[in-house]
Amino acid sequence: MDFTLTSDQTALTDAIDRIAQQFDAKPTDFHGFALSGAALEHQLTEGEYFDIALIPEFGPLTAALAVERLARSAFAAEAALSMLVRPQLPGEWPRPVAVVESGRPGRFVATAKTLIVIDGERISLARPSPGDVEAVESLYAYPMGRLVGSPALTKLSAADAANVRKWMRVALAAEAAGLIQAAIDSTVEHLSIRKQFGRPLGTFQALRHRMAECAVLAGGVRLLARKAAFSGNDGDAALAALHAQDSGTRMAYEMHQMLGAMGMTLEHPLHLWTYRIKALLSELGGRGGQAQAVATHCFGKP
Amino acid sequence: MEFDWTPEQLSFRATVRSFLAEHLPPNWETVAHGPASEVQSEFADVFCRKLAEAGLLVPHWPARWGGRDADAWTAFILAEEMWMAGEPRGGQYMNVNWIGPTLMRFGSEEQQQRYIPPMAGGATIWCQGFSEPEAGSDLASLRTRADRHGSNYRINGQKIWTSYAGYADTCFLLARTSPGKNGISIFLIPMETPGITVRQIPSVIGEGDIHEVFFDEVEVPGTAMLGAEGQAWEITRTALSLERVGIPRFALASLMLHRAVDRLKKAGRYGGGAIEQSARAHAACESARLYSYNIIDQRVRGIATGPEASAARVATVSAERLVGEFVVEHCPEALAGGEPMLQAHHQRAIVAGIASGAAEIQLNLIATELLKLPREPR
Repeated sequence: MDFTLTSDQTALTDAIDRIAQQFDAKPTDFHGFALSGAALEHQLTEGEYFDIALIPEFGPLTAALAVERLARSAFAAEAALSMLVRPQLPGEWPRPVAVVESGRPGRFVATAKTLIVIDGERISLARPSPGDVEAVESLYAYPMGRLVGSPALTKLSAADAANVRKWMRVALAAEAAGLIQAAIDSTVEHLSIRKQFGRPLGTFQALRHRMAECAVLAGGVRLLARKAAFSGNDGDAALAALHAQDSGTRMAYEMHQMLGAMGMTLEHPLHLWTYRIKALLSELGGRGGQAQAVATHCFGKP
Repeated sequence: MEFDWTPEQLSFRATVRSFLAEHLPPNWETVAHGPASEVQSEFADVFCRKLAEAGLLVPHWPARWGGRDADAWTAFILAEEMWMAGEPRGGQYMNVNWIGPTLMRFGSEEQQQRYIPPMAGGATIWCQGFSEPEAGSDLASLRTRADRHGSNYRINGQKIWTSYAGYADTCFLLARTSPGKNGISIFLIPMETPGITVRQIPSVIGEGDIHEVFFDEVEVPGTAMLGAEGQAWEITRTALSLERVGIPRFALASLMLHRAVDRLKKAGRYGGGAIEQSARAHAACESARLYSYNIIDQRVRGIATGPEASAARVATVSAERLVGEFVVEHCPEALAGGEPMLQAHHQRAIVAGIASGAAEIQLNLIATELLKLPREPR
């Protein structure tokens, strides 16, 4: 049990941090929902960062740390699935990677080169042609898309499907950890500056306690995501994803409530993180789906 | 960063488990009611001496004081296994966790020689005279007075919620020697000193846990003072930081959650809402576990723990609550004679957010020190 980063992990996360910093702030003239970071993805590709999970001294845990950090940027990059799930796919599959779950719109689907298609228990992979996918306008602050064509599907074996599902849970939790932290940071800044009744909002205990509870949840999501990335254990992955969706549900509401009317604007960046959190809440069956996985993997088959 | 146990840690845990298997009586779970019940306290007295003989009472203490200089992981693994077994050490866990180490750091040679060996031998119980009727979370407002009379101090006042006072040999007492926050001092007082009266408070936690303790003209020598006059705040802060992540409550909560789920499965009642609620409670337990392990890791590295210890407490409170709510909703028979350990856990879980600094105090600390929000006006 060792909670400090190794020198390799520190070097890698420092490098990711230097790249991410250029994309942390929302451009002041951007007043939209989906802020996608093509330039950020380009830099990550150039540095070969999408394959770090395969390098022994880094592994999935370091990849999860990178995903967590990148999710804190205002610009969204398809990093979580590429860094944590793609290395687990049987055979060579190009990135970006996106998930189509029960035919619904998904993050990065319109630009994905590999689709993970979930249909009930069955998981298949596909290489979509440009005409197979289309962009969808949404509130989710990720570039969303949907599958409209019928690309050839490569069905995964039950074991591969279970493994992919597990790493999708880890990816979801690591990404949620970063999003939640960024939403908290953004809210703390507002509560420290905005004054009412002659003092900063952050001095009022009614808000302080709720913020502190959210901070505890955020830390829990981070710890569980890191543990799951380290262990690659089915139960750990299910617990991490459940805690992420559970905490994210509360967080998405609380942070906007704290920001008041400012949080309603597209001028303030908060929605970039909270609405991305909302995009994660329904994935892999939502909380009910994760709970079922916890029941199976942590409590044995019901 | 890694989340595995070392072979030595696994082996130590196995040693503790086999000791427990060998020394806990077959009916232990049915007698393990009430953290300081008569039967549990009498058992603890014998059990702790055996633990000491086996080198399992204070392994993390310095060799000079009967330990073997083992690290904080050893102490925490020991604490996890003991707490999961219903804490057969009774009130002696406090000696092991913080009273002993605090005396090693701040005690006089005479105090150390007098008090530490009996702790290391498992032969003594202490109680902690902190809270008062008018001073709970606001501990600095305590009123119990210690007035100097020549070389002695005369103590008058009242303590409340004092755990294990009915069986304790010695009290770690906070009393006021002058006005203000820096006017509080610590006294180590034998409970047999004339003028001390203990009255048990019946409680939902279980038999024998909380008490009122009255001090009426209790005369103690100046040598009973721990540290210097007015040093209580500094010493207590150190002690409480050890206490804050002292009891691994998440471990028993998790064990009881699994046990409740097993009961429901056997009865064919595990499905729907029970699945969701149990999974959520389990995630909360594991979050609290990792938070706590993070603090132990900091202790091992000699890093001063900050607001993360408060976060660990809050995470633990949440885990206890979710497990408690799950049991009440889906396994209600547990609190009606159906499963003694589940009931005992439920009774003890209520303490999680209250003892050693209320959860709301922790939330304030997190807001200020972790989130860096501006302080609230006083």
